[in-house]
Amino acid sequence: MTQEIPTPNDERRTAGPADAHASFWLRHSAALFLFVSFSAFADSPRPTLPPEQRTNGSKTLTALSSLEPLTLACTARIESVLGRSICTATIVGADGYLLTKASEVPELEKVRVRFADGRTAALREVHRDVKIDLVLAQAVGITGLPAVSFASSKSLTLGQWLCSTADTGREPRIGIVSARRRSIPGAGAALGIRMDDKATKEVQGVRIIGIASESPAEAAGLREGDVLIRIAGEVVAQFKRVHELVNTRQPGEVIEVHYLRKDKEETCRVRLASRTKVLQNWEGEDFANGGISLRSDNFPDVLQHDIPLYPSDMGGPVATLDGQVVAINIARVDRVTTFALPVEAFWADVQKRIQADRHPPKAVPVE
Amino acid sequence: MPLLCPPFLSRAATILVAMQVIASAAPSSSDESRNPARKTDLAALLRIQTDVQKLLPQVRPALVAIQAGGGTASGVIISPDGLLLTAAHVPGAPGKEMRVIFEDGSVTTAKSLGLDKTTDAALAQLKKRTKPWPYVNLSREVIKAQPGEWCFALGHPGGFDKARGPVLRVGRIIKQTANSLHTDCVLMGGDSGGPLFNFSGEVIGIHSQIWEGRDQNVHVSMAPFLRSWDAMQKSQVIKIWGVGAGGYLGVATVMNDDLELEVVDVLESSPAKKAGVLAGDVILSVNGEAMTDQQQFSATVRARAAGDTLKIGLRNDGKNRELSVKLAQKPLEE
Repeated sequence: MTQEIPTPNDERRTAGPADAHASFWLRHSAALFLFVSFSAFADSPRPTLPPEQRTNGSKTLTALSSLEPLTLACTARIESVLGRSICTATIVGADGYLLTKASEVPELEKVRVRFADGRTAALREVHRDVKIDLVLAQAVGITGLPAVSFASSKSLTLGQWLCSTADTGREPRIGIVSARRRSIPGAGAALGIRMDDKATKEVQGVRIIGIASESPAEAAGLREGDVLIRIAGEVVAQFKRVHELVNTRQPGEVIEVHYLRKDKEETCRVRLASRTKVLQNWEGEDFANGGISLRSDNFPDVLQHDIPLYPSDMGGPVATLDGQVVAINIARVDRVTTFALPVEAFWADVQKRIQADRHPPKAVPVE
Repeated sequence: MPLLCPPFLSRAATILVAMQVIASAAPSSSDESRNPARKTDLAALLRIQTDVQKLLPQVRPALVAIQAGGGTASGVIISPDGLLLTAAHVPGAPGKEMRVIFEDGSVTTAKSLGLDKTTDAALAQLKKRTKPWPYVNLSREVIKAQPGEWCFALGHPGGFDKARGPVLRVGRIIKQTANSLHTDCVLMGGDSGGPLFNFSGEVIGIHSQIWEGRDQNVHVSMAPFLRSWDAMQKSQVIKIWGVGAGGYLGVATVMNDDLELEVVDVLESSPAKKAGVLAGDVILSVNGEAMTDQQQFSATVRARAAGDTLKIGLRNDGKNRELSVKLAQKPLEE
């Protein structure tokens, strides 16, 4: 995807082709919606394939039942203390080691894991690999888990079936390798705001003059007219500095923002998203995507597939129809795209880290 | 169905009924692995994969990315001399210059020909060259694209991305309507105009629109392309289905309570208005041929070219009259 050079005061890209098309698409879908409803009404009832017979319908998915011990059984659900699904974990060690998407769980101590047998446990962070957005953790005090066995992803070909898990590891889903394996460049993180580039005389700070739809800023409650005064502990006076402070961080990271609203100082915590996501969705173009991951770019090596998943399914295993687990879902990108980290991108390192964690080097007494 | 329908329409309607009976009685016409009635097992899924992977190298070169009017979309070449199918909302009007990009990044241009705005079907012509363009065939047996059949989609969702390449999706047909196919091949912006293929490697649909559900992906079927082919090749715009494709009259009709063909609206400055057709007139005949329904009437008008004169038999308030109307070209409003 081509990235245009940003103007620092405006996180929004000047209407590039993809942006223009997104709103274009929306306009037309509204108009055409009427036409289709009309023709559906005017025509005599036509046979419709029942949901259970569709590509991801229950009848089709029974074909995958023999694979479930190798895939579904080896997953767990990461949930908030109130029981809300956050993401999916792939079990990689019988003694509680698991992998999940790092940017979805910036604070592991605030979540818990729930296994298929109903057991829950707290999580201990073993290693967080920001580069590939994967965190290795251990469920505290849990043993006897079914762990996945990974196999090489090198022989995957375009159009090859893959299966994975949805509903945080409770249901199978099927799809195909849908595009080339490749690296995904990153464009940094964003708040989803447009800033006034003129310095205000009355107050020192940077005024927000626009908020993107469904952006981190919107979610945190920031509004147009608020004046940013301190970001991640640093006093800000220039929009360029705000941009730098935000853009160089990782999507998923939480930063504290101090701002003035009606001359009263307020504070909020904002979870940053990929700049790409914020820009593409500036005016809510993602309406039909079913949600996308906060971090969806900046990966050294990914597989792309078309399995219909949600952001909370990230962290789950991806297997071939031979039952070989070849990747872990790492980003829901848009309506048609999920990225998965191929086994080669993480497994050798993760194995070493599990070994070291199980048998930490003992202190050698010095004579 | 009256015999006076154009051959394509009457044949399609007849086959539709016949095929449905056959399909429910003996669902054995298609390949076993893709038979919707058969339970899908792993072996069946793997056969589908083998078939898609075999066809992919054949059909993929005919896929293009299209840049037009600030948006990005897709298209598919269907003849060696460079006829291109896409969605009508991509060029938006005839005669539009479009930038066309092949998978390897090479670029050429195309000009939009005609389009059918009522169904979102459009035709374009690639710049001429001596070497034949890579192309795929389109399916002329619209009726075969039935619910449950497996299919696959290609396109450039989100725009052209050389590192990623075209994006493939495999799914099943959910529904066939008069002008469209619904599938669970998930589409998004940028896919518009791209091809949906059957397992003979023929184009059966052109990506057109989505609703919110992931099973709600709508493709223009080959029906409107085949029906309006000549008009589209002549760069005509079809805006009201049944009036504008060929000769243009400018009336809107309904079937009234007595099941007669009644004029409900006469468009300003249209040939019908000039000739004195009034709202409330019942259309009895065209050139002496009795008119019994809307499809027959619109097909009869469209079968004539602009400039032709028609004699239209009308009745109003119990009085019959006959008018001569000189058909015009459908105005290209934008």
